[in-house]
Amino acid sequence: MRRNPGPWYALPLIGFLLVFFAAPLVVVGWYSLMPARTFDLTTAFTFDNYRAAFADGYGRPLMWSLIGATLTTLIAGLLAWPTAKILHRHAGKWASLITTLIALPVFISESVRLFGLSVFLMPGGGILAGTLNALFDVQIGTILNTRLAALVGMIYIHFPFMLFPLLLGVAMIPADRVEAARDLGASRWAVLREVELPLAAPGLLIGGLLTFVLCLGANAEAAILGGRAVTVITAAIEQRFNYAQDWPMGAALTVLVIAATAVLVFPVLRRIDLDRIIKR
Amino acid sequence: MTGGRHILWLKVLWVSALVTALYMPIISVILASLANSRYMRFPHKVWTLDAYSAAAADYTTVTLHMISLQIALFVVLISVMLGTIGAMAYARYDWDGRSLFQKAMVLPIFFPQPVLGLALLLSMSALGIAPSWKTAVFAHAVWIVPIVTLVISIRLFGYDVAQEEAAYDLGATRWQVAREVTLPALWPGIFSGALFAFLLSWSNLPLSVYTSGADTPLPMWLFSRTATNYSPLVPAIAVIGTFVSGFIVVALVVLRRLAAAIARRAST
Repeated sequence: MRRNPGPWYALPLIGFLLVFFAAPLVVVGWYSLMPARTFDLTTAFTFDNYRAAFADGYGRPLMWSLIGATLTTLIAGLLAWPTAKILHRHAGKWASLITTLIALPVFISESVRLFGLSVFLMPGGGILAGTLNALFDVQIGTILNTRLAALVGMIYIHFPFMLFPLLLGVAMIPADRVEAARDLGASRWAVLREVELPLAAPGLLIGGLLTFVLCLGANAEAAILGGRAVTVITAAIEQRFNYAQDWPMGAALTVLVIAATAVLVFPVLRRIDLDRIIKR
Repeated sequence: MTGGRHILWLKVLWVSALVTALYMPIISVILASLANSRYMRFPHKVWTLDAYSAAAADYTTVTLHMISLQIALFVVLISVMLGTIGAMAYARYDWDGRSLFQKAMVLPIFFPQPVLGLALLLSMSALGIAPSWKTAVFAHAVWIVPIVTLVISIRLFGYDVAQEEAAYDLGATRWQVAREVTLPALWPGIFSGALFAFLLSWSNLPLSVYTSGADTPLPMWLFSRTATNYSPLVPAIAVIGTFVSGFIVVALVVLRRLAAAIARRAST
């Protein structure tokens, strides 16, 4: 009899993640409990940084990040749902070509794509403004350096992360189930709410979670497109670490982001059977 | 029937608008690289490839690519090794802690990337290790290893365990089974996992921000240069960098096809 080698195969990966994922998080937690502006890890624990984080107005960047992540997830979801339905309904050569076309930009660096978006939106001599001016003699303004621009950038970058899990989710809706509901007199809206959304829920949840979490840490969109209009939490953390040289405070803010992530990720992951989705 | 046709046109319009929107910024980068003026004034007075010759002559271009390449290569090595072994635990064997393992393993994917990098930077500093491209390798790997494990696992779900049993029954050793049965079956998954790892590492910005230290990978350089000190050199290097990664991937796919064709000819 050969023994089940499953746990042995799991071991290297578990070790790797303990050392490079779990341990660093513990270190961040530790730093966040150190007195302000220290660089050493001691046992003189204090909660001052957390108290100061809210007193010093770091609630605002955190709030902006949460709002941005929520809006991006909602809008990307609204854009991705009809797209996923179309691609699934008309599955075939064209749909796979379109799917590939949507997937490809993911592999182009987000700094390249965001830079492109900023060149496109630039006022005066930007690609859009310049073209309109040259062809139609129309002058337009720009949304560059506003919160809206940062939001557009976040939706642009994270749309595929919403779409692809959703495609898997939509594929989990049996066509006959929808037809049966229609035959029984259900309206379009009722079918969507009572049949399609619950059946596609795993894909929707994974896509939403992935989009939300990635947006929570997103920094480049606000930096390249948002100008100084908005400070997101990652930018605030970076500022604490680099310019203020206040590591414990930066770590405390980081722990807040981690906590916000954990609150969302754990319940969702507990409810989803990843195994079943991947098997498809 | 005309109603159906209208809906079809609407769908085509929707999808085309979407794809156009996704590619517009990429096209914009290419357009921006064809200028020679320091300030963006589109449409350009002079359309030129000057920025590309400047980029080719600039040693920075080579350095940036070498750093990104180094990081990506090590990330591919680490994630393929850990991912192949991990996929066996994820999908091939059924064991007691498996469902917990499956969930714990994907946690890094559902995690804000800059925070991952930051946590790693703090730990390295606590240990007295200075950040460099080597630390960036591990930051990238933490996020990419779980993804590659999933990619390889997909392959394993369609895998017929009976082949292995048959090989054992015919007297093959554990090592022989792994080399002659399991690995060849997994190979397509490993190959796409490696491509994923390469592309994800090459293009990643947020994981490098805190961890790469003085070594600047391509996306980092582009990010800092778009904020300050813009010139057509920036979009030119962006285009070059993207083409280099595309070229590497296409070359690998072609090589694999060739190798498969040669192997097939040799066996007949």
